[in-house]
Formats: sequence, C-alpha cells, structure tokens
Amino acid sequence: MQQFIYGLLLLIALAIPPIAHFMESVMIIHMHMQMPMVVFAGFLMARLFMDRFPRFFDKWNGNGVPGILLFVIIVGFWTLPRSMDDALTEQSVEVFKFVSLSLLAGFPLRDSWKRLNSLGKNILFIFFTILFLVVGWLYIDAPVQLCNNYLVIEQITLGWGFLTTAICIVIYLIYITFTDRTKYE
Amino acid sequence: METAINQTFKTKATKLLGVNKEDAKISKTYLFVSFVILLVGGFLGLAQGLNRAGLLELPSWLNYYQVLTMHGVFMLLAFTTFFTFGYLYAGLSHELGGLLPKVRKFVWTAFASKIIGAVLVVIPILMNEASVMYTFYPPLKAHPMFYIGLVFFAVGMWLCNVGAFIQVANWRKNNKGKHVPIFSYFATGINVLMFFALIPVAIEVLYLIPWSLGWVKTVNVMVSRTLFWAFGHTLVNIWYLTATSAWYVIAPKLIGGRRWSDTLTRVVIIALVIMNITGGFHHQIIDPGISLPVKMMHVFMSLAIGFPSLMTAWAMFAVFEKTARKQGGKGLIGWYKKMPWGDVRFLALFISMASFAPAGAGGIAQTTNQLDTVVHNTMWIVGHFHLTLGVTVALAFFGISYWLVPYISGRVLTPQINKLGVIQTWIWTIGMIFMSGAMHTVGLFGSPRRTSFTTYGDHATALGWNPYMMAMAVGGTLLIIGVILQVYAVINMMFFAPRGETEFPIAEAEENASPTPYWTERWGLWIVVMLLVVAMAYVVPLTEFIVNAPPGSPGFKTW
Ligand code: HEM
Ligand SMILES: [Cu+2]
Repeated sequence: MQQFIYGLLLLIALAIPPIAHFMESVMIIHMHMQMPMVVFAGFLMARLFMDRFPRFFDKWNGNGVPGILLFVIIVGFWTLPRSMDDALTEQSVEVFKFVSLSLLAGFPLRDSWKRLNSLGKNILFIFFTILFLVVGWLYIDAPVQLCNNYLVIEQITLGWGFLTTAICIVIYLIYITFTDRTKYE
Repeated sequence: METAINQTFKTKATKLLGVNKEDAKISKTYLFVSFVILLVGGFLGLAQGLNRAGLLELPSWLNYYQVLTMHGVFMLLAFTTFFTFGYLYAGLSHELGGLLPKVRKFVWTAFASKIIGAVLVVIPILMNEASVMYTFYPPLKAHPMFYIGLVFFAVGMWLCNVGAFIQVANWRKNNKGKHVPIFSYFATGINVLMFFALIPVAIEVLYLIPWSLGWVKTVNVMVSRTLFWAFGHTLVNIWYLTATSAWYVIAPKLIGGRRWSDTLTRVVIIALVIMNITGGFHHQIIDPGISLPVKMMHVFMSLAIGFPSLMTAWAMFAVFEKTARKQGGKGLIGWYKKMPWGDVRFLALFISMASFAPAGAGGIAQTTNQLDTVVHNTMWIVGHFHLTLGVTVALAFFGISYWLVPYISGRVLTPQINKLGVIQTWIWTIGMIFMSGAMHTVGLFGSPRRTSFTTYGDHATALGWNPYMMAMAVGGTLLIIGVILQVYAVINMMFFAPRGETEFPIAEAEENASPTPYWTERWGLWIVVMLLVVAMAYVVPLTEFIVNAPPGSPGFKTW
C-alpha cells in the first residue's frame, strides 16, 4: 500500500502542469527524465495490484514474456520523435503518455522482471542497447529537425544521451559476462 | 582452498608480528615525501601571505604567480596524493594480510611515475614558463613539459588505484561471500572515485599537449574547464573521503568505542562515489555558456552530496556521545568531558570534523548562484578551501600521522611528541582561524584572489583591505610554525622515537548489529550507476559547448 501511495504521489507530482511543462521544455529531460520517472511511478504502484490479483497476473503473464513485450512496445513507441510532438500538441496524447507509461509499461515491467529467466533478461538488455544505439545515431545524425517542438541542438543532445546510456549498458553487460560472481560470493 | 588457508595464516601472522616490513617501506616512503612537500608548500604559502600583506616583496626570479602555482600544485595535488596512498596502502596491508608482490610492484612503479611527473611539472614553473595556477585553465598556455608532467603524475595515481583493486579482488577471491573489511572498503571507494575522476582531466591534458606544442592552433575553453572541474572537484572530495575514513574507522577506536552502523557507513561511501563527479559544475556557476536551467539542475546535484556529508556529522557525534555516556559521561553536554582531549590522535581528528561545519555551510552558500556572484574569485574562496583542505583534510592527515608513522616505523608515540602534537594542533587551528577568517571577510569586501600585493593606486577600498591582510599574515606565520612542528614530529616518529609496537587502530562494528546486505559489495553495479549519473549531468552542457562552439582560442602567456 505504501509503495502504491508513493508511486501515485510521484505520478501526480509529475503531472502537475508547471512541473510537466518545465520538464517537457527540454527535450532530453522530457524523454530521459520525465518518461522514466512515470514508468517508475507505475512500477511502484504495481505492487498493490500484484498482491491483490495474483491469479490474473499468473494467468496472463506466467513466464513474463507477454508483460515484457507490452513494456517494449510502449517504451519503443515513446522513443519516436512523432509521439513526443503529439504529446505536446494534443492534450489527449499527453494523458495517454502518463497512462500508458505507468499502467502499460511500469506495471508489466515489475510483474515480468522476476518471472523472466536470465536469457530473457539478457535479450532485453541487448535489445535496448541496440535500440538506444540506433535511436541515438538517428537523433545525432538527422540533418533536419525531427520534432516541431525542439531545436536541432536539443535533438543532438538527446542522441548523445541515448548513446551514453547504451554505453553504460554495454559496460554493465561486459562486467557481468566477464566477472565470475561465484569466485567472489 | 589452500591459498585461503595460507591467507588466513598470513593475516594472523601480520596481526601478531605487526607490520609487514616491505609494505611498511612503501608507506614510509610515501609519507616522507608527503611531509617534505608540506614543508616546502608551507613556506610558499607563507611567502604569499606576507606578500599580500605588503610585508614581503618577492624577487623577480620567483614571482608571486610562480609561488602560487607551486603552492597550489604541491598542497592540493602532491602532499595529499602521497599521504593518501601511504595511508591507504598501510591499511590495505594490515587488513588484507600483506600486499601481494605484484601490487608492491604497481605501487613502486607508481611512485617513480609520480616523482618524474612532479619534477617535470616543477621545472617549467621555476623557469617561469608555467604560471598557470594548479587549475591550468586555457587559454593560459604553459610549457608542454608542464602538461607532460601532469600525465606522468596521473599515471602514477592510476597505477596505485589498480594496485588497490588487485589487492581487494584477490582478498575477495580468498574470502568468498565475506564483506571487505571496513578500512579496505573505504580504500576501494576512494580508488574507484579517483580512477574515474582522472579520466576527464586526462582527456583535457592530452588535448592541451599538442596545443601547447603548437600542433593544434586553438582550444575549446569551456570544454577544458568542464573536464578540469569534473576532476578537480572530485579530487577535493576524495581527500575529504580519506579524512572521513579516519573519522568512521579510527576515531571510535581511539576513544574506546565502536563504529557507527556498518551498513549505513557503506551506504554513505557508495552515495559519495556515485554522486560526486557531477558536483564539478558548482565551480562553474559564473561561467558563461551554461544555460540557467542547467545551472539550476546542478545546484541540486551539488546539494545532493551535502546529504551524505551531513549524515557523516550526525553519525560521528552519535558515536562520541554513546561512547562517552558508557564511560560515565552525564548531562546534556557534560559527556564531552569524557573525551580524550589530551590525545593528539583524537584532538586533531575532532577539530578536523568540527571545522567541517563552517566549511560545509560556506560551501552550501557558494553553491547558490546569487551568493556566489558576491564571492566568486575573491579571497573568500581561498578562505573556504583553507577550511576544507587546510583544516578538515590537513588536520585529519596530521592526526593520522601520530599513530600511522610510529606503526609503520616500528616505534611508539612518546608523551613528549604527543604533547608537541597537541600544541601543534592548537597552533594550526588558531592560525587557520586567523588566516581563513581574514580571507573570508576581506573576500566579502571584494579583495580578489590570485593577485599579488597592490594598493590599486592607493584606492580607498583597497586600502581598507590591509588590516585583514595583516591578520592573514599573522595566521600564516602561526601556520608555518605549525608546519615545522608537524614535520619535526613526523621525522622524529619515523627515525628517532623509541622502538616498540604501535597498533593500527580499527574500531569494531557495533554490538548486535544487523548483518550488512551483500549488495554493498557490488561495485560493478555502483560504477555503472555512477557513469549514468555522470552522463546525465554532462551530456547537455558538453553537447552545447561542442556543437555550438565559438571559434577556439589560441594560447596566451600573460605573465
Ligand atoms: C602554511 C600554511 C599555509 C599558508 C600560509 C597558505 C597561504 C595561502 C595563500 C596566501 C594563498 C593564496 C592567495 C591568493 O589567491 O592570492 C593560498 C592558496 C592556496 N592554498 Fe594555501 N596556505 C597554507 C596551507 C595550505 C594547505 C595545507 C593547503 C591544502 C592542503 C593549501 C591549499 C591551497 C590552494 C589549493 C591554494 C590556491 C592556489 C590558487 O589559487 O591557484 N594551502 N594559500
Ligand atoms: Cu567542488
């Protein structure tokens, strides 16, 4: 219950117009701070529902794959320039952003993560690394403005944000592949 | 398995036989060099203080800015680096059953590299070819040898970091599933932070070398400053973390108590490692080219470091009070009487900690844009870092020396030297109160830092600074007495004090503590989190500086 309340408070805080407006005024904060925080709010809120309706989740998300697919689709959708633009111009899309990232991405991520086996987790990491590299390259290299709402310099900044994040994931993957935990723990 | 047994046997052996001879030689050499540098650096500081008070005119072959560059480099970089590694490696050797032969090789190679580096840095300064201060901001251009020396020095630091990693990893292999002992845990955090903090400045210097050689015509000033402070800020915090390690691990033992919560101690270390590098931006609050929202974000990032730092203060006072009450201390403040004030090892650590209160408060003020516009580049800043570095860090190092030097030299701390140390500690404290107090005040009145004596054509405002400058000179004079006493004490304890066993005072964990969770050992994970935080902080401004760069700047020799 406590986690649910924290998550809800975070979600409400993020949705307060001046805060939302401030975060959305900078492209990289919009995508790399606001959106992950909305997902995280959903992640926190999910606990209550997982405890209340375990059977529902067991039935539909037994091995975690359906949930994680939903997560990937939703997050993938929100990395597109077009969706960000729409969120800024259409009120309804903005509402959908908050609802989808919390309910349809944060929830399934929490429920699926512990159901996935390590192969699944690694595939997910690798998928996001590739996605981030490609999207990062797209944003850095695009000669034109991709969003009506953001300047080219912001686009390039966001691209570097994606690339550096991808590099961090790669470092992590290298670390877990090449260090043998059983030797130390 | 065999090595494991071997290892525990060795651990017990060093506990019984005291310090390992070869490892002691390492620490002795590092500490000796460190205090010699302190001695020279102290006289340079005195020369500056006397000059600014109008009492001393420096000769043309050694002008104010040469002295200032050398004082900064010696004190901020060399004294501290040599001390830290002498101290950390003594602890690693003590706690982890002696250094591995391979690690010793690393540390000696590192020593050679650092000495070569230091010589290469000092020569051009003495030739008046590198009066660029320890910050070496372009477009000020030094002789290439200066930058090459810095590279050697940095490589020396890196080798020491890697040596420590090897030592700790080896111990973990032989002690599966156990927590790295607390002192070595501090050492790990400090080395991780240093290893990564050196990367940005190495990139900067590797660019400045071809620029100073004339192969590249221009340099991006904002990028250089940003890369420098990612390092410079972190470096200062590394010295702070080194001092903190003594507060947490050593101080409780000296007063006969136990450590504060093991879990929370480790969490503080992790937090300081993760959040530190991004604090560099608070040194650039007045820099152009950084937009206000980004500066705003960095105020929060800086203040975030304040949180674990404040936790530290709270934790230490809790430990002191608990111990003192156990020993019969009473009343709201009466328990203070139970503390061993006559023991220099404790007194110096205590004043080091207490000084962090005003130092931290000043730091928080400077992090605020509006307040910083008043004090930026004034003597206030110099007052601030003589509190943080000159008291919090330096006094902690001095306090450590009174047991560490006897420990590695197989000698004891005599009552005479203890008394001398207590006197030294008070002289240092009073000297710094004078000097730093005067610097803070005169800074508020606008007296600039990094400026040799001038009355600005007898301008009334500038003349009004003079009384404070006198107070500064008085403080500086007391401080040089302090330096001399301190160096004398170190030499005495290293070579002349009576032989005997001195303990490496590591406090036990608190009683019936809950077990520390194992995730505190997952450094790989924390490093990745740290890198993510760094990326978050630096991507926005660096992209802006590079993509929207103004024409680069050629080098200038303004002196
Ligand atoms: C005998 C003791 C000391 C005296 C008399 C002294 C005096 C001074 C003075 C007068 C200045 C500079 C003024 C200016 O900006 O024009 C200065 C700068 C500085 N001091 Fe000290 N100091 C002492 C000890 C220390 C210690 C122990 C440290 C650090 C561990 C330290 C670190 C620095 C640094 C980093 C600078 C800045 C150099 C620059 O601006 O480039 N000093 N000192
Ligand atoms: Cu700083």
